[in-house]
Amino acid sequence: MKQIMLRGRVIVEGICKAEALVSTKPISFLGGVDASTGEIIEKNHDLYGTCVKDKVLCFPHGHGSTVGSYVLYSLAKNKLGPKAIVNQTADPVVAVGAIIAEIPMVDQIDIKQIKTGDVVEVDAYKGVIRILKKGES
Amino acid sequence: MYLTKEEERIYDGEAGWANQVCMKILVRLGELFNATRLIPIESAHVSGVSYKTIGDAPSEFLEALASSGGKVNVEATLNPQSVDPKYLRKRLPESAIEKQLKIVRQFEKMSFTQSLTCTPYYLKKPKRGSHISWAESSAVVYANSILGAWTNREGGPSALAAAIIGKTPDYGVHNAENREPNILVKVEALLRNETEYGALGILLGKILGDKIPIIQDLKNASKEYLKQLGAALASTGMTNMFYCNYSHVKTKMKEIQKISVEAKDIKESIESLSTAPTPKPDLVFIGCPHCSINEIKQIANLIGDRKVKDGTEFWVCTSRFVKEKAKKYVERIEKSGAHVLTDTCAVVTWTDRLGIKTLMTNSAKTAHYAPMLNKAETALAPLKECLKTALKG
Repeated sequence: MKQIMLRGRVIVEGICKAEALVSTKPISFLGGVDASTGEIIEKNHDLYGTCVKDKVLCFPHGHGSTVGSYVLYSLAKNKLGPKAIVNQTADPVVAVGAIIAEIPMVDQIDIKQIKTGDVVEVDAYKGVIRILKKGES
Repeated sequence: MYLTKEEERIYDGEAGWANQVCMKILVRLGELFNATRLIPIESAHVSGVSYKTIGDAPSEFLEALASSGGKVNVEATLNPQSVDPKYLRKRLPESAIEKQLKIVRQFEKMSFTQSLTCTPYYLKKPKRGSHISWAESSAVVYANSILGAWTNREGGPSALAAAIIGKTPDYGVHNAENREPNILVKVEALLRNETEYGALGILLGKILGDKIPIIQDLKNASKEYLKQLGAALASTGMTNMFYCNYSHVKTKMKEIQKISVEAKDIKESIESLSTAPTPKPDLVFIGCPHCSINEIKQIANLIGDRKVKDGTEFWVCTSRFVKEKAKKYVERIEKSGAHVLTDTCAVVTWTDRLGIKTLMTNSAKTAHYAPMLNKAETALAPLKECLKTALKG
């Protein structure tokens, strides 16, 4: 398989390798994600019922209350946070959340290239994402 | 973004973790919005204080910040919390109150002023033309539009970071060219009271998005009426300022888009915000945003010798500062059986736990949020009608 490499902008530095969890919808961390379980609880969300823990969480951008930044911090402190965040366009709520939670984050990525279940490497020093292994689906 | 040597040292962690994380927030946000540098601010106002609104998530971050030496660098005030010092504290569950007080203690450790109000401008008015970093959208619109101080619409964390660093990135309405109006709103109706001004705000917020309007024909409006307009405007839209006269504006009126609002639009806006036109609401609430001294005085005078009806709660919400200043009028209001509550308001406290299912208010902002945040049916009507409903005789 030819390895796919995507280039974006660094928001928070770091490096990791994990399974991708991809959404086509914006995520509101306040009210949308349960800070005590890491589960997505927003009804009608395409990731409803899934857990963000240890995933490379890919979604277009955040929305909703700025308190959402603190939810990301809580998730990370409780070891329920994503390993990395990949956005189409970073917004202040998620960017600030990733900064204070120290979660590697890259934006300006065409997230449609990534599918849930893909194993990806996020190099958030260089702003590069490599899809190492396509998922089953 | 350009950083001074000192800013770089803070960014690299030489001034400790609390300062470093705050500097990172400001710099990264600045980069997102193409800021060129950080500019000093005169004050910061932080939202995300009410435990009911924010829940458990922020406590850990605030604690980490406070215990690693985070301290404010400029005058920094706090938005309302979920309880007042007396009345509600007796009536709400202890565990929730304890969590609320813990949040405020963290802010106290970092030397925030315990203003606990959404109207920090009544405590201290920022200077015209000064740069400030305020969260609380109603205060942002008031500062930009009525006081002429310059602030973006900050979120809780970015205002907190600005308070600790004493600076903000120079994007958005910190630049004069981004403060020019780009739409003209002609109001073809005579607005008669604060509720109609609020209803106009709700309506415009939905149409304008983040545009900056000149709203024509409001020249004689009181500051309190414009406060209602701005609070409502920010509830439904992303607008962070409006103009009500042309004198400071460079834009040529001929060149911008125009819309008009008619009396029937205002009427419809009020109707859409009234879900429960009940004659006997559980709570009548005045003070969103928090009352000014003038408003307290007006309420006292309108109440006269009348008493609150049995079975009805009547709350007037304001800051500690205004309550103290308006003591004489507060006493007269409280004699009626009404409660003058400080540090909180109906929207940020647990009205549902007090058994309140219907709420009447003169504030369009409250009427907009209460069905969601208070799980209450609402009736929106001007002060005089609210008083008529709350009082005997």
